Amino acid sequence: MGMEQAWLIPAIPAAAAGILILFGKYLPRKGDWLSVLAIGTSFVLFFFVLHDLTDALARGGEFTAVHSGREWVRIGSFNLRIGFQVDQLAAVMLAVVSFISLMVQVYSLGYMKGDKRYGWYFAVQSLFAAAMLTLVLADNFLLLYFAWEGVGLCSFLLIGHYHERRSAAEAAKKAFITTRLGDVGLLIGAILLYRSVGTFDMSTIFDAARSGQIDHAYLTAAVLLILLGAMGKSAQFPFHVWLPDAMEGPTPVSALIHAATMVVAGVYLVARTMPLFQVVDGTLVAVTAVGLITTFMSATMGLVMTDIKRVVAYSTLNSLGLMFIALGAGSVTVALLYVFTHAFFKALLFLASGSVYHATDELEVTQMGGLAKKMPVTAAVFTLGAMSMAGLVPLAGFWNKDELLLSTFENHNIFVYLAVLVSVLITALYMTRLVLLVFTGKPRNEHVYEHAREPGPAMKLPLVLLGVLTVFAGFVVFDGVGHLMGFPGGFGEFLFTHEPEAFRINAGVTASSIVLVLVGIAGGFYFWGGAAERAKAVGEAVPQVYSLLRNKFYMDDAYQWVIDRVVLVVAGVVYWYDRVIVNDTGVNGTADATRFGGFLLKFHETGLMPNYALLMTVGVVVLAVVAFIVGT
Amino acid sequence: MIRLESFLVLSAILFSLGVYGVLARRHAVLILMSVELMLNAASINMVAFAAYTSPERFTGVIFAIFIITVAAAEVGLALAIVLRLFRNRTTANVDEVHQLKW
Repeated sequence: MGMEQAWLIPAIPAAAAGILILFGKYLPRKGDWLSVLAIGTSFVLFFFVLHDLTDALARGGEFTAVHSGREWVRIGSFNLRIGFQVDQLAAVMLAVVSFISLMVQVYSLGYMKGDKRYGWYFAVQSLFAAAMLTLVLADNFLLLYFAWEGVGLCSFLLIGHYHERRSAAEAAKKAFITTRLGDVGLLIGAILLYRSVGTFDMSTIFDAARSGQIDHAYLTAAVLLILLGAMGKSAQFPFHVWLPDAMEGPTPVSALIHAATMVVAGVYLVARTMPLFQVVDGTLVAVTAVGLITTFMSATMGLVMTDIKRVVAYSTLNSLGLMFIALGAGSVTVALLYVFTHAFFKALLFLASGSVYHATDELEVTQMGGLAKKMPVTAAVFTLGAMSMAGLVPLAGFWNKDELLLSTFENHNIFVYLAVLVSVLITALYMTRLVLLVFTGKPRNEHVYEHAREPGPAMKLPLVLLGVLTVFAGFVVFDGVGHLMGFPGGFGEFLFTHEPEAFRINAGVTASSIVLVLVGIAGGFYFWGGAAERAKAVGEAVPQVYSLLRNKFYMDDAYQWVIDRVVLVVAGVVYWYDRVIVNDTGVNGTADATRFGGFLLKFHETGLMPNYALLMTVGVVVLAVVAFIVGT
Repeated sequence: MIRLESFLVLSAILFSLGVYGVLARRHAVLILMSVELMLNAASINMVAFAAYTSPERFTGVIFAIFIITVAAAEVGLALAIVLRLFRNRTTANVDEVHQLKW
C-alpha cells in the first residue's frame, strides 16, 4: 500500500455510497456504520500514503507527484484518464478531508438520530467523501471537474436535506445555481487549455504554460475562468451570497462541506494551478482583490448577524477571503496551512453550535445566553474554536494568521497588509461577541435555557478530538513536529510553491497581531459584555451602517432585482418563442398539417370494389400511354 | 401458318373483355370469371411468344402452366370468400358491400 494505490481512498467511500443508495434501507441501522467504516478505512489508508510520501521525500532528490490510474476512454487523440496523483498538496487536502469527514460522520450518528431520511443522509455523506477525495487526487482537469460537480451535487442534496421547509429548498437551489455560474467558468477554462495543449493532464499543461507554448491572451482567459470556478466554489465576492443561506442544511453538513472541505476546493484549485497563475501577470492581483473584498464584507457582516450558524458562516467567508489573499501573495504554503488549521477549528465551531441547536432547537443568539452553565464542554470547545478563529496565541488559528500576515507584509503592498490587520481586529471582535452572547450573561429565554444540555457521546467525541487539534494543529509549522510525524521539516518545508519556506517569526508583525487580537477580545467584552448596551448604542448611533450590514450590503436584494427584472423577462421571451414558434408552429404545426391532409385524403377510400378496379385500370392505361409517348 | 399477330390480337380482345367484365359486372362470381379471362389472355400471350421466338425452350409453356395453377388456387380462395360473403349478407353484389372504408 503506497502512493500508487491512492485511488483506493476515494474508491472505498464511493463503493459504500453505491451500496447505501441501492440497498441502504435493508441494512441494519440503515447502513450508517458502513458509511463511517468506509471513511474510517480511507483515513487509515491515508496514513500509508503519507508514510510512502514522506519516505520518498526523505530519500531526497527531485520529487515529482506519483501518478496512478488507468485510461478510461480513447477517441482518436482524445484520451480520458481516471488518473490520480499524490504530492504534498494532495496529502494535506487528504488529511483534512478524510479526518473531518470521519469526525462529522461520527457526530452525525448522534445528531441525525431519528431523522426520517437517516439512511439517505449517510449515503450522500459517503458520496460527498468520495467526490471530494477524487477532487483532491485528480491529475487531470476533466476528472477534477467531474468531482467538482460531484461535491456540488452533494452540497445541493445536503443543504436541501429538510426540503419540506421552503427556505431550505430555496437555499439549496441558490447554492447550486450560484456555484454553477463559477463551474461553467472552470469547464470553459479547462477546455481552452485542452484546445491549446491537446490534453487535460495538469502537469503537461503546466509545462506547456511555463515554456510559453500557449498563446498569452488565451492563457489569460483560461486562468481567469479557472479563477471564476474557484470563486464560485469558495464563495468569494460576488458569489458569496450562497454560503450563509447554505446554513439551512443540517449542522454537521455545514461543518463538513461549508466550512472545512468543499468551500476550500476553490483555494485548492488555485493552489493546484498556481503555475498557471504565476505565468500570467496580474492574475494573482485579481485573486488578492477578490479575497480582500470578501474578507472586508464578511467580517463587517459577521458583527451584526444574530443567527449563531450564520455568524460562523460569515467567519468562514472571512477565512476564505484571507486564504485567497495568501494565494494572491503566491504562497501555497500559507494558504494550505490556513486550510489545514481552519478545517479543525471551523468544523469545531460548527459542530459545537450544532450541539447548541440540537439541545435547544434555537439558532438566534438573542434567545440564548448563559448556556455555559448547562453545557460546559460545548461552551469550552466553542470558546476554544472562537479564540482560535480570532487568532489567540498559541491556538491553531494563530500560526496561520501569523504566517499570512508575514507573507502579506513581504509580498503585497502595505494597504493589503493593513486591511488584513483590520480584519484580524474585527474577527476577534465578533468571535468574542458570539461567545459572550451565547454562553455568558443572563438567560434571555428561559425555555431555551431549560432545554440546554450536553450532547451524547457520539457527538461529544468529535468535539473533544477537534478541540484538542484546535490547540495543537498549528504546531505543524515547527520542524520538531514535522520530524515527529516523519516530515522532512515543518509545514513550509513539506508544502511550498518553489522553495521550501522555513518557519520564521517577524517580531513586529507577530507583536502587532497579538496586540490587535487582545484589543479585539477586550473590545468584544467592552461592547457585548453584560447586557450588550454599548453595542446597541453604537448600532443606534449609526443606523444607516447597521441596516446596511444587517441587509448584507443589499446584495441579495440586488441579485433578486436582476433575477426579477432581467433574467425572468428574458426567460419569458425565450419561453414565448419556444412555446409559440418552436412548439405550436414548428412541432405541432407540421403534425396538424399532416393530420388534416390525411383527413382530406381519406375520402377516396369508398369501400366500393368497382371504384378501386376502375382507378386501377385508368392508372394502368395512363401509365401505358405515358410509357408509349416517352418511349418514342 | 398463322401469324404471331393473330394470337396477340386474340389475346388483346380476350383481355379487354375481361377488363370490361371486371368493371361492368356487379356480381362477385361474374367478376371472378372476368379475371379468369384476363389470366387466360396472358397465358395465350406466353404460349404464342414461346412458340414463335424460342420453340426449342419451354419457358413460355411452363409459365402458362404456372398461371393455370395459380388461377385455380385463386379461384378456390375467392369462391370461398364469396360463399362466406353470401352466407353473411345474403348478397354477392359488390355494390352493396362497402363497409371497408373511412
